[in-house]
Amino acid sequence: MSQLFLKLVFGGALALLSAAPAVAANDLVIGVDSNMPHLDPANTNDTLSQSVERTMYQGLFGFDKDMKLIPALAEKVDADETATEFTFHLRHDVTFHDGTPFNADAVKVNLERVMNPENHLSRRSLVSMVSHVDVVDPYTVKIVLSQPFGAFVNNMAHPGTFMISPKALAQYGKDIATHPVGTGPFKFVSFAADTVKTTKNEAYWKPGLPKVDGVTFKSVPENGSRFAMLQTGEAQFIAPLPAELVKAAQGIPTLNVVISPSIIVRYVALNNMKKPFDDVRVREALNYAVDKEAFTKIVFSGYAAPLDAPIPPKLAFYAKQGEWPYDPAKAKSLLAEAGYPNGFSAELWGATSTLAKRAMEFLQQQFAGVGVKVTVAPLEAGVSTAKLWNVQKPEDATMQMDFSAWSSSTGDADWGLRPLLDSKSFPPNLFNIAYYHSADADKAIEAGLASADPDKRAVAYAQAQNIIWKDAPWVFLSVDQLIAGESKRLSGVYYMPDGGILTEEAALK
Amino acid sequence: MSEAAIGTVRIRSPLGEFWRRFMRRRVALFAGVAILVLVLAAIFAPWIAPYDATTPDYGNVLSGPSFAHLAGTDVFGRDIFSRIIWGGRVSLTVGFVSVALGCAVGMALGVVSGFAGGFLDSLIMRFCDVLLAFPGILLAIAVVAVLGPGISNVVYAIAVFSMPVFARLVRGSTLALKETVYVQAARSIGVRALPLIVYHILPGTLPGVIVYLSLRIGTSILTAAALSFIGLGAQPPSPEWGAMLSDGRSYLGVADHLTVFPGLAIFVTVLAFNLLGDGLRDALDQKLR
Repeated sequence: MSQLFLKLVFGGALALLSAAPAVAANDLVIGVDSNMPHLDPANTNDTLSQSVERTMYQGLFGFDKDMKLIPALAEKVDADETATEFTFHLRHDVTFHDGTPFNADAVKVNLERVMNPENHLSRRSLVSMVSHVDVVDPYTVKIVLSQPFGAFVNNMAHPGTFMISPKALAQYGKDIATHPVGTGPFKFVSFAADTVKTTKNEAYWKPGLPKVDGVTFKSVPENGSRFAMLQTGEAQFIAPLPAELVKAAQGIPTLNVVISPSIIVRYVALNNMKKPFDDVRVREALNYAVDKEAFTKIVFSGYAAPLDAPIPPKLAFYAKQGEWPYDPAKAKSLLAEAGYPNGFSAELWGATSTLAKRAMEFLQQQFAGVGVKVTVAPLEAGVSTAKLWNVQKPEDATMQMDFSAWSSSTGDADWGLRPLLDSKSFPPNLFNIAYYHSADADKAIEAGLASADPDKRAVAYAQAQNIIWKDAPWVFLSVDQLIAGESKRLSGVYYMPDGGILTEEAALK
Repeated sequence: MSEAAIGTVRIRSPLGEFWRRFMRRRVALFAGVAILVLVLAAIFAPWIAPYDATTPDYGNVLSGPSFAHLAGTDVFGRDIFSRIIWGGRVSLTVGFVSVALGCAVGMALGVVSGFAGGFLDSLIMRFCDVLLAFPGILLAIAVVAVLGPGISNVVYAIAVFSMPVFARLVRGSTLALKETVYVQAARSIGVRALPLIVYHILPGTLPGVIVYLSLRIGTSILTAAALSFIGLGAQPPSPEWGAMLSDGRSYLGVADHLTVFPGLAIFVTVLAFNLLGDGLRDALDQKLR
């Protein structure tokens, strides 16, 4: 009896002891939905790894929580009239985690590494227009481009051009991917594909930051388990929180549900070179045929907004175009005018995810309402790569309609328009699977890139968006909203419009 | 044996004997009635189903079971009860057609194999061994992967993996029947191979085939639902049960009726076919007689 009593007391004390540090801990744990393959920013293609890299690395510029361009390691930048020369003035008070000073030489080493084709880094396209990098003085660096590129500063804010310690680059070579050394608020501790640990950088150049002792990213792909981590306090932030679980999360008093706008757009690309989609009246009809409000309600449980321009509101140089209202009667009369009084049949492609299938089924119902009989074909990733992106000539394309999504991670209108809608971007070069070709739109898109002057660029992109909106190369659908869950103890963690996570200002109480 | 003794035995026809035995198995009888109801519901779906299976109602999505919608509505506001009734057409058709196809080909191969013997027998049986070496669902996935997704290809896929089982079964019976006195007698009076097979051997293989047929239909409905669940079978907006289950999966815990009712439909149907199969086996088994 007394032994049992002792065991109980002892066990209870142990439990208290082990529970105590968890309550007092100032470490932030973030639950995410997939693995982090590696941490070389210049070779990263997934938003999640970029989020992890952001804890340790920084670029000359950066993005704030609304994806607005902000200075980071550079204090300011001067650009010439033709957008071919960019002079960055660097901060004087920054050192890398290994003690190496950050200066113009470090910038040159980093950019030349990404530019060098022999390094085979996937983010080379961000600097492929750079001719050479000149060190003007220890804290001034001039980047000379071989052609005008107005969105260049955005490229210098993209994670692909984050600054890595030159000493660490020399020391680790390719292994830098698993030994990150940057200038960021957190220092690297350990790496595994499903868990990355970092600790506070005591010498961080921004005063008063960071406020937490470290950030850990844990990959938990199963929705229910990830949500459970948040409920039990194992994680203080989880992203994404599936729309279906929002109601459950809102019922828990210790949690906040954070809903924020994204730059992820959804649309149906129509093959503008194929009958019947080569007729603008047919493309208009299809835009009138879809109830966008119902689309967001059914497909995204309401967590999305109808698209009102070819690019989303959170992208620089977005210009609102209004809407394609839901008007089946008008759609039918347009189809009749175009010579399809009884509609037509077509195939709608898309991904195999639950969400894509739900969206395609919804579109099938909507198009049926105006007499267009659509067969839904969810394509496995390998198949869609072959059938959409690897097509060599426009006339070989078999795609009629494709339910697509795009997120421009440079935060700029250029990457939201040019790869998808410029006539020089037909596959296999870039991603214009709609084979949209308009000389006027091309001119406007290219004018936007030919200047670094924000006013001139705004005019060009407004014109481009207007032309594209009227030509209706796509059925314009919606912009996603991002949903995350966080503990009420947490503040200062932001879910960015491109799906990235910012942790610099994180604080726990 | 005296004349009087024979007089006391009532001679029943084989069919009558089967009925007498089958009627005694209450569970199987009940399963048979359940299947009959399912089949009738599927045939008369347009008149029985209270709503159309594919017409959406965006004003009434994910609502729970009520008098207006007995099994609730799905994410598009479609009536789940109506979809299950219409879905019965798909599932039962796939079950019957695929197994019938596999059975027809399998019986033909089996009887030829058993009757001819020798090299042909080895060839057919090794071919069946190869097919049997794969787990059924894996073979079906492989076949659908080659032919492309779609419910008609699922029928072929299931037929392919049902075929070798029937071939083996029929070959076994054929080997035994070949040596029976009545077949030997038919042979000795000069009945040729084809009539011999069709009139004297095949009918003898039927009891085993019928039992296996009913068991196999249950399996094939389950396989078709599984293939649709992973997106290889029925394509939207077809109200196939497995596809409905898959659609409802992401709403588990929020709107459970999306998965409970299609799941129940699959469960009841497959169970009914299996119980019927068991009952038929007991009623037809020569050894239990």
